[in-house]
Amino acid sequence: MPKHIVRLILLIVAVLAAAAIAAPLLTVDSFYRFGHYRANSVPEIAAKEPVYQTPRYCYGCHTERRAQWSAGNHKSVICEVCHGPAQGHPQNGKLPIPKDAVRLCTLCHEAMQGRPRSQPQIQVTEHSGGQQCTICHNPHSPKITTAAAKVSGDAAAGKQHAAACASCHGAQGISPNDTWPNLAGQNAAYLVRILSAYKSGDQTDAIMTPLAQALSDADVQNLAAYYAGLSCKATAGGRPVGDVTAGENLAANCVACHGQAGRGANPAWPKLAAQKPGYLVNVLKAFKAGLRKDPMMASAAKNLSDTDIANLAAYYAAQSCQSTK
Amino acid sequence: MTENSKPTLAARRAFLAKLGGAATCAGAAVGAATLGITASVSAKTEPAANGASFPTKDYDWTKHQWGFGVDATKCIGCLRCVEACKRENDVPANAHQFRTWVERYVHIEGEEQTRIDSQQDPVNIEASGSEKTFRFANRYRDAKVDKAFFVPKLCNHCTHPACVQVCPTGATYKTEDGVVLVDETYCIGCRYCVQACPYGARFLNEEKGVADKCTWCYHRITKGLQPACVEVCPVGARIFGNLKDKQSPVSLFIRNNRVQVLKAEMGNAPNVFYVGIDKEVN
Repeated sequence: MPKHIVRLILLIVAVLAAAAIAAPLLTVDSFYRFGHYRANSVPEIAAKEPVYQTPRYCYGCHTERRAQWSAGNHKSVICEVCHGPAQGHPQNGKLPIPKDAVRLCTLCHEAMQGRPRSQPQIQVTEHSGGQQCTICHNPHSPKITTAAAKVSGDAAAGKQHAAACASCHGAQGISPNDTWPNLAGQNAAYLVRILSAYKSGDQTDAIMTPLAQALSDADVQNLAAYYAGLSCKATAGGRPVGDVTAGENLAANCVACHGQAGRGANPAWPKLAAQKPGYLVNVLKAFKAGLRKDPMMASAAKNLSDTDIANLAAYYAAQSCQSTK
Repeated sequence: MTENSKPTLAARRAFLAKLGGAATCAGAAVGAATLGITASVSAKTEPAANGASFPTKDYDWTKHQWGFGVDATKCIGCLRCVEACKRENDVPANAHQFRTWVERYVHIEGEEQTRIDSQQDPVNIEASGSEKTFRFANRYRDAKVDKAFFVPKLCNHCTHPACVQVCPTGATYKTEDGVVLVDETYCIGCRYCVQACPYGARFLNEEKGVADKCTWCYHRITKGLQPACVEVCPVGARIFGNLKDKQSPVSLFIRNNRVQVLKAEMGNAPNVFYVGIDKEVN
């Protein structure tokens, strides 16, 4: 065999031998255990600690919030969507409570092309005029459902008691005076709520407080049943101070709770149609000034000018309280 | 000529000797690789008997085959999934690198081309006000829109992943339970895989200098949790589960819907199954 061929064969053998020695030294043990990769990298990746902890992690301490959230229609939105990942909480401090609710809520609820119709969506400016969503909505259970008080009163018994109210609210629940409200045809659940508030002191009025405190719970029920059953006058009449058309535009913001033309949407809230304009003005001003306390009305009245209030009162006073349907 | 030939010959011999040395070294490397391949073949045929309760003590990857469902008819484009993914997986906080993303498809009346944007469109970055938070701008509010919808996207964890095939170092691979992972210590950042992926699901993580991609939150699913994007989705547009379990959410999703995959013609056999996407989506 020629010398150079022998050398070449020897060279190849040497190379293979060197490779055989080098291969195990250059390859980590777990490589090729399952395939052409380092098997140990799998447990390394799996060992990372989760950042998002899931609601189960929050349940332990935040029981009250959990109850609220899990019963509402935000239950598909986990805590960490709004409050951020809970890793390291509570050891490393509190989780943020979002400050700008408009910015947060509109991520999902701003009316946008492409969102499925089943998703509740709003035009922010029209819906709230840009005020914070949390003023009216509880973010943990956003649907507004003020539970209507149960009314199980006896109208006949209520009529007996109502004699004492007639001097201010009228014999038939139609007030003779511009500053006192009509009661005829009002939602019974609202009447119960408001009378109970006077009785408990949640709401105060120089005249109404002592009168309500003298009533028993049964009296409250009976009175509410009696007044709710009376027929209201078509319109309040009186002297319109404000501009009905301007009021109508403003009233678009009130429809969700007070119903179309103020004829009521939910029995927990008062009907406004054909109510005394003077009374409506006083009440709105009281809400604005914080004399009457209601979180929703406080925010609704906050940005109303005196002219706005007069216009709204004029509009509602001019509406018929009897449904045209 | 003759005078010069002697030193020239000597130089040539010295050069050849060096070349021989170099060839030996190179040959050793090639040989090692050859042996490596033979070893790999034998390793692949070896049954994964020692795979029981691997990769962690409480998790056996032979009992799982993960799959993902996307119901695009439910997606509202809130981008909570994108934000959660970024935070869960330490994805660089910029508006251009994502493990998962959401595309918006808008057909405008009278236009032939469908308009497509995602959260990294400059208009949407401006609407969110920061590169760390995400929001779709309401840019089509006043347009006459025929049809519009959102499509969440992520790595398809293909049964035949092109990215794994092209990796020169064995830094990316498919696990027994069907997840395509990246071994950061072996990745050399060559970006072959980024190029190879037909879905644009990979990117180079510039902070680490390695290829980065969705892992279906492998550290969560091996602990019995859902991937972060699935966990935070407020409308249930993302569905995840074990395909080996016939009652898992993803098995039910596939059984109860007519699902499709993206770019089926590429032959990668993706494992993200879509409902409610249009002809433009791929």
